Amino acid sequence: MTSTETTPIRESPVQTGDVLLSIKNLHACVEGNEILRGVSLRVRAGEIHALMGRNGSGKSTLSKVIAGHPAYTVTAGSIHYRGRDLLALSPEDRARSGVFLGFQYPVEIPGVSNLEFLRVSCNARRQHRGQEELDTFAFEDHVRETMAIVQMDPAFLERSVNEGFSGGEKKRNEVLQMALLEPLVAILDETDSGLDIDALRIVANGVKKLALPTTATLLITHYQRLLDAITPDFVHVMAEGRILRTGGKDLAMALEQRGYDWMDEETDGADRSDTPQP
Amino acid sequence: MSTATQSPPWLETLLQVLAQRSGHSVPQRASAPDWRWPTRRSEAWRFTDLRCLTQLDPTRLHTRTASPPWPDVLRQGSSRHVALQLDGRGHWRDPQGEPPPWPHGLMPLPSEEITPGQVAHTVIPSGTLPLGAQLNGATPGPSLGLQVSGPAPVHLALAIQVEQAQTWLAPHVLLVVEPGARLCLTWHVAATAQAAVLPMVEVQLGAGARLEEAAMAWGCPGAAFLGNSFVHQSPRSVYRRINVTWGWGLSRDEPFIRQSQGQAETHLHGLAVARGQSLLDTHSTVSFGGPAGQLRHQHQALADDRGHSVFNGRVVVPRLAQQTDASQLSRNLLLSTRARIDTKPQLEIVADNVQCTHGATVSCLQDDELFYLQSRGIGREQASRLLQRGFCEEILQRLPKAVLAWPSLQRLLEIPVPDQP
Ligand SMILES: Nc1ncnc2c1ncn2[C@@H]1O[C@H](COP(=O)(O)OP(=O)(O)OP(=O)(O)O)[C@@H](O)[C@H]1O
Ligand SMILES: [Mg+2]
Repeated sequence: MTSTETTPIRESPVQTGDVLLSIKNLHACVEGNEILRGVSLRVRAGEIHALMGRNGSGKSTLSKVIAGHPAYTVTAGSIHYRGRDLLALSPEDRARSGVFLGFQYPVEIPGVSNLEFLRVSCNARRQHRGQEELDTFAFEDHVRETMAIVQMDPAFLERSVNEGFSGGEKKRNEVLQMALLEPLVAILDETDSGLDIDALRIVANGVKKLALPTTATLLITHYQRLLDAITPDFVHVMAEGRILRTGGKDLAMALEQRGYDWMDEETDGADRSDTPQP
Repeated sequence: MSTATQSPPWLETLLQVLAQRSGHSVPQRASAPDWRWPTRRSEAWRFTDLRCLTQLDPTRLHTRTASPPWPDVLRQGSSRHVALQLDGRGHWRDPQGEPPPWPHGLMPLPSEEITPGQVAHTVIPSGTLPLGAQLNGATPGPSLGLQVSGPAPVHLALAIQVEQAQTWLAPHVLLVVEPGARLCLTWHVAATAQAAVLPMVEVQLGAGARLEEAAMAWGCPGAAFLGNSFVHQSPRSVYRRINVTWGWGLSRDEPFIRQSQGQAETHLHGLAVARGQSLLDTHSTVSFGGPAGQLRHQHQALADDRGHSVFNGRVVVPRLAQQTDASQLSRNLLLSTRARIDTKPQLEIVADNVQCTHGATVSCLQDDELFYLQSRGIGREQASRLLQRGFCEEILQRLPKAVLAWPSLQRLLEIPVPDQP
């Protein structure tokens, strides 16, 4: 899946409506267990997608396969990003090319300063885009401005990456990273979980600010409340490693009211791989 | 003494050369020790190959040192601070090459008050001194003896810089810290040529005295370091030691600490970074001669390439040392399949009402941590380097500014991997 020699995808301007991410019949397994069983999804610039589904249905797995986690093996299907084979790129080249994953469980890295981590990653992305790297001072100004978007205290820069951060603080740090990296495709895996009411509003505003006509956002969530703040164009429901159903924002509301059972009954017997695509 | 039968020819030649230089037929500093050359069969030297030491040619040894690249903050003495460069003949001078103006609270001890081994033998009551201390004792030259008094802290920066092949440096330092007095001691030891550095440090800490010691010792693949320190702690004294070592072909660091009547605090933090073919060995002993003593000991090691780290942490708590509170942790990062970590706690606890914990972990770089960094565009090599630094940081962050000022620490931190494009 990852090769050692990878060429980053050069960044050309994106037009609204361009297909950014195209996933076809994706199968992936981990430690011999097949988790993804034929996911197909197309995401265009300017769109916001919501991905829902029961615990264990494969949402995080899909996001990690897109980001290139080495524990997962793709056994069939493809992912194209702006027309290029994404699976051929290393995780770092995917990120540099503009694919961002906000982790459901951000990783704590003791001893590595958050400030340095943010600076190194921000510069890796900038370099890819042909922008000049920011030195320590310039970056510190830049990061402080950006932190205002998620109303994060600059004191978090002095700490180790995510170490001892509360659940909500970790999620804000993810959105901060997204803001610094300016991705073209942002996948946010339950970034709304564990946030208090104010933090949810702050994070939702931040994400909205970063969702541009030239970028796409995939929100993985269990709750309507995030989708109240950020209206999705499409709502997908995952089950057993597939996208079971796709609809508009009404689908999320129906799920909120009725749970997942009705959908199982309705879909029973139907061809489940026949997912309507936008 | 049946020296000849128990020592290899190398040692015999060495002892002859050292004795000739001192103008004595027997080694000068210490009384003739009972030489027992360690073999791999003895438990304490099981992993530690002395070849790096015995590769030196005894007949060509000399004691020339270079002048250390003092950072500006340390170069100038003050009323509370002195910097000294040690050389192999036991002489010392400040960075300007002058005999130093001694700061308040720091006084050289008259030579008749210095007997090498005087503290060591109270710290290891029975038995022979370890090899490094024996070799130090066999090397001629005066000692650096200092007395610290008064409650205001005194800062002493010591440096040893070796740049020529076949250097043999065995400085002896005796520090008497009077009751209630406070000393901040930093060491910078660097060897860039095939050489041996064998410091022996003896410290007498009076009641309520404090010693904060921070040492950075780095060498090159041909250089050997055999360091011994003997610290005698009176009640209510506090001893803190931070030790960072890397680069030596062979390093054997052996601190012995004795809380003579318990009721004192000992804090030891060590970091060993073994790359290339480096063998870095720490054998520590902390013994409690009375109740209610406290020990906090954390040793961290990173082994990459064919590097080898050895840690043996001995803690002795006899029956009279009730209410001892001791903890020891050995954390290790193993980065290559050919690297090696040998870590062993050695708790000798007889007292029953004590709290003694120990733990040892050996881990590799965590995939999830690497992936998290990669998923932010950081290349794998650089991510690995950041994580290694993060591992070291836990000890490095404890180093005082006076040590961080030495430029050589950057060489440790810049783990030798080319930058990502
Ligand atoms: N390393 C692994 N080994 C074995 N099974 C795994 C592994 N990783 C994931 N799985 C399994 O894959 C399935 C999908 O997990 P995934 O994390 O993608 O679910 P999810 O939809 O994100 O769930 P949630 O809503 O709880 O976050 C689960 O049954 C999980 O146990
Ligand atoms: Mg999940």
